Amino acid sequence: MKAIEVYGLKKEYNSIVAVDDISFSVEEGSIFGMLGPNGAGKSTTIECIIGLRKKDNGDVKILGLDPIKDNSKLYNLIGVQLQETSYQDKIRVSELCDLFMSMYDEPLDYIPLLERFGLLEKKKNYMSELSGGQRQKIAIILALIANPKIVFLDELTTGLDPKARREMWKCIRELRDEGRTIFMTTHYLEEAEYLCDEICIINNGEIVAIDNISGIIDRANIDIIVSFETKEEVASLIKENITGVSKIERLNNMVKVYSKRDDIISDIVILLRNKNIDYSRIDVIRPTLEDAYLKLTGKEWEVK
Amino acid sequence: MKRFMKVVLVEWKLNNRNFLNLFFALVFPVMMLMLFGTMYGNEPTEFMGGFGGVDASVPGYICMIIAVTGLMTLPLTLSQYRERKILKRFMITPVKPIELLVSQLVVNTITTVIGMIILLIVGKIVFDLHFFGNILSAIISFFIILLSIFSIGLLVAGLSKNVKVATAISYIIYFPMLFLSGATMPLEAMPESIVNISKALPLTYGVRLFKGVWLGNDFFDYTGEIFILLGIIVIFSLLATRFFKWE
Repeated sequence: MKAIEVYGLKKEYNSIVAVDDISFSVEEGSIFGMLGPNGAGKSTTIECIIGLRKKDNGDVKILGLDPIKDNSKLYNLIGVQLQETSYQDKIRVSELCDLFMSMYDEPLDYIPLLERFGLLEKKKNYMSELSGGQRQKIAIILALIANPKIVFLDELTTGLDPKARREMWKCIRELRDEGRTIFMTTHYLEEAEYLCDEICIINNGEIVAIDNISGIIDRANIDIIVSFETKEEVASLIKENITGVSKIERLNNMVKVYSKRDDIISDIVILLRNKNIDYSRIDVIRPTLEDAYLKLTGKEWEVK
Repeated sequence: MKRFMKVVLVEWKLNNRNFLNLFFALVFPVMMLMLFGTMYGNEPTEFMGGFGGVDASVPGYICMIIAVTGLMTLPLTLSQYRERKILKRFMITPVKPIELLVSQLVVNTITTVIGMIILLIVGKIVFDLHFFGNILSAIISFFIILLSIFSIGLLVAGLSKNVKVATAISYIIYFPMLFLSGATMPLEAMPESIVNISKALPLTYGVRLFKGVWLGNDFFDYTGEIFILLGIIVIFSLLATRFFKWE
């Protein structure tokens, strides 16, 4: 079952194309992550899917519904955490949760949710008294009060410290394990790597790659590197005897062999043994999601 | 309806947790009354057209309360809700942001009425305040003035890019109306130039109407003022509906 289906979605703002003809679908019960630099079109995509913006072209189905026409039905089925939303300073956590409970047809009780996110003792506090991480947890709780089939999380962990971020990751996995579908955008590659069943990399409003993590890395078609130290000249020897070598680099005693072949290390070891060449510290460096991302978007990863 | 009442209740609580909102709507008007009432007393005088100073000033102070809730609290709260994306957050719930807006109108109306009641009670006890008019005319006039001022506040809220802009516009509109419309200082004491300026201020017509009805004149003696106020309601609410930015 598909929870979200998007075909040829296009959105322009004042003739600047924000999202250009993108298509993808999200499997029910999975975590779908959208990755991309600032201004790539992530938030626009979310806002078109949940009916906050009218698309200029294309077709969006969410739980089989049209996000604009069926929105009153839809808003009982999805929970959303929007980027940069804050709430009234002087509203108490319990009042805000209670207000959201009154909005939905079949809400979840907020007390167990507060308990689960470790915020029960903050029930009587004003929103302005909470830390950034606690406020983001409230944002998730408010999204969950709807008892949603799909949870949208737009840059949930931006600005959180590493510990709070890891806590969030645990929460998001639990949501998936409850059978909910998660659609999230993020800036953090390790977050996507840890959480997402499927990753969609978007750049300048276009989809660059969409796959699971190893698929994305394969698509980027990056060499693995076998590195080792030796005093002897081995470059021509390796080139003559081993196939699939893209290039060889040598820096002092360190040799780096680049190749697309996953098993090339065994060939190298056998060759060096047969020729009685002394070597040490042999290692394989495989491309990470970050390498793939950088290659696919052609952009330096912004350090936040 | 039950859901809407909940939104109103929450907004009401939030409003009452804001010291400035309460001070300017409930306390400040009483302070004005005490200050000027002590200075002028409430004995009928020639200058006040044969009425007591307090009797002739209280309708203006009531208009001042309408101005502070409608031109300060209302637009500042709503533009803050937009800046913080609270209105946007409500768009993706079964509650629409218009309910938040309407509940703000309700809350500010209630605050205005309470401010008026406190003023009347203090006026009655301390200065033996009199009401010479017809209750129904006064109530109708009150709501015409309230709606006209609130519709101006809504347009300010709807058009301002952010809270800073809304604050600037609110001050620019509110303070001249406070001092130059006859709400706090009688226009009879003002030079010609100020009287001319006052004619450009919507609240001037509100003060004229309410003061007139309060002091026992007929409601229909003020058709000119009523038409201007109704015109403001129609034009400004239409503009606010057309141009209100939710995000």
